[in-house]
Amino acid sequence: MTGAAISIEALSFTYPGGKAGVFDIDLTVAAGELVAVIGASGCGKSTLLKLVAGFLMPDRGRILIGGRDMADMPPRTRNLGVVWQSYALFPHMTAWENVAYALKVRGMAKAKRREEAMRALEMVGLTAFADRRPGDMSGGQQQRVALARALVFRPQALLLDEPLSALDAAKRIEMRDEIRRIQQAEGIATIHVTHDQEEALSMADRVVVMQNGRIAQIGTPRELYERPVSRDVAAFVGHANLWPGVVTGPDRVDTPVGTLATAPHGARPGSAVTILVRPERVRPGSSPDRVNTIAGTVTRDRFLGALRRFDFAVDGGLIVGETADSGAIAEVHVEPKHVHILPETPPNQRRVQ
Amino acid sequence: MAWVTGIYLAYLFAPMALLLAGSFGESWFNTLLPTGFTGEWYEAVAADPSFRRAFRVSLGVAAATCVVNAVIGLPLAYAIYRAASRGVRVAARIVYLLPIAVPPLVLAFGFVLVFSSDTLPYLGTVWVLVGGHVVLTLPYLLQTLVGDMRHLRLHELEMAAESLGSGFAARFIDIVLPSLRHSLASGLIMVTALSIGEFQLSNLVAGFLTRPYPVVLLQAFYGATGFACAATVILLALALLASMGGAVTARGAQAARSFGA
Repeated sequence: MTGAAISIEALSFTYPGGKAGVFDIDLTVAAGELVAVIGASGCGKSTLLKLVAGFLMPDRGRILIGGRDMADMPPRTRNLGVVWQSYALFPHMTAWENVAYALKVRGMAKAKRREEAMRALEMVGLTAFADRRPGDMSGGQQQRVALARALVFRPQALLLDEPLSALDAAKRIEMRDEIRRIQQAEGIATIHVTHDQEEALSMADRVVVMQNGRIAQIGTPRELYERPVSRDVAAFVGHANLWPGVVTGPDRVDTPVGTLATAPHGARPGSAVTILVRPERVRPGSSPDRVNTIAGTVTRDRFLGALRRFDFAVDGGLIVGETADSGAIAEVHVEPKHVHILPETPPNQRRVQ
Repeated sequence: MAWVTGIYLAYLFAPMALLLAGSFGESWFNTLLPTGFTGEWYEAVAADPSFRRAFRVSLGVAAATCVVNAVIGLPLAYAIYRAASRGVRVAARIVYLLPIAVPPLVLAFGFVLVFSSDTLPYLGTVWVLVGGHVVLTLPYLLQTLVGDMRHLRLHELEMAAESLGSGFAARFIDIVLPSLRHSLASGLIMVTALSIGEFQLSNLVAGFLTRPYPVVLLQAFYGATGFACAATVILLALALLASMGGAVTARGAQAARSFGA
């Protein structure tokens, strides 16, 4: 794994007196890459971050940063920039003093470290606020100071722990782009822990989905969205219609909403599967050859600006669809290639249980 | 509610007002208010050697109590704050709240028993007095400090500092002490106010030459009214000064950390 900025190998950690923790984590982050780690709360994503940062010691496995084994290194010698969920800015220091603290600890002279801190504050657009204390700054500004503080000492990697969760919705979207811009400009390997799948998909080069302390899937945002390995991943990433199904032929499945044609899938006839159809693949009206066309009624209609998301009640269940079309809907259809078949139990979980 | 508040305030301020009037009154026999105006009672108190000594003892004991409190209280508060298990935190809480629940008289009697023994014949020394005041006031300082540590999320600040490369000593000097400076100051001023006003325990454990101000004050009640009033007003002024200092410091602390909520 040369070239990997962060390399995590067979890492396991269990909290004392409990079953919670992380198990068999294998993950590499390339130089300049942003990897998002997502999952429901308690899935182990924050634990993983604490292990990398050195605030927890693994039971098994190892962590290499810049090729060096971190086993015996306390957090302060790991040279990692961390942006904390609460920012954890020092309330008694001004913005520039906060940013310069890592340089102070490293013994840099005051004039020099002020200069470096100002450069870092310029990168986040906050030079005008250098002499303010965190208490006199907005959440977004505090976030930028935290980011500057985590980068000013040129760390080997950047760790982001739910960095945007304390911001309001509009600011959050703005800061996604801002963090991504700075991360790419610095070319720094980054692990970004978040519970917000949309944030992960929109920022990351690759996304890790964690579940019960294990990695459920690693992939690019597109792979995750279009080819989730399991029902849980599909449910977590984006909106989804998920139905239990039974394979009835090489390109057919039975579902509660009817028999659907699929692309040739290779699954064994008679096997239980989960069917995934993304809402935007549910089209209003009939298909030309009436394949996968289902009649029903709209029971709920949500206006989302450019789109509407509707619940469509049919015999045997509910179909959620999204469309820009504002007309009445009496039938919907799904192209066979957009009917995805997921194994009932994902292979990696079958192995470990 | 207004009249309840009125009565409360009357009960609170009327004695103080009367004391003040009495301390400047020339004579006060069988009248509602004293007659005449004089500063001689204050001069008399200031000239009285036992009051002068008591004043010095009180200030000295308060100062020593503050020092010991700070030295013990800061690490203890930190240990309580950082205690890993819930059980430890609950136990610590009960232990450090106990001196508030137990009447000082009970504590003082225990002190008398222990320190009048042959092995520990220290009753009447100023150090037993300081020890007693520390036991009585430490819980208040601990509560202030632990509350502030929680409020500031000191643990997160320390983790942040550590990830930036800061070791234990540097964190203590750069982060812990400056973050807690306001609550430490306001806590210690509260300790001062409590120590200066403490009577129950001091009365039992103080020696003749180590009597703090409130204990000596009791003697004044058997003498001239004006003298007693003046002596009491001095104690009142001292205690109010400490309380006001505490309030101002606490407000400063509030302002400094208001963003942290």
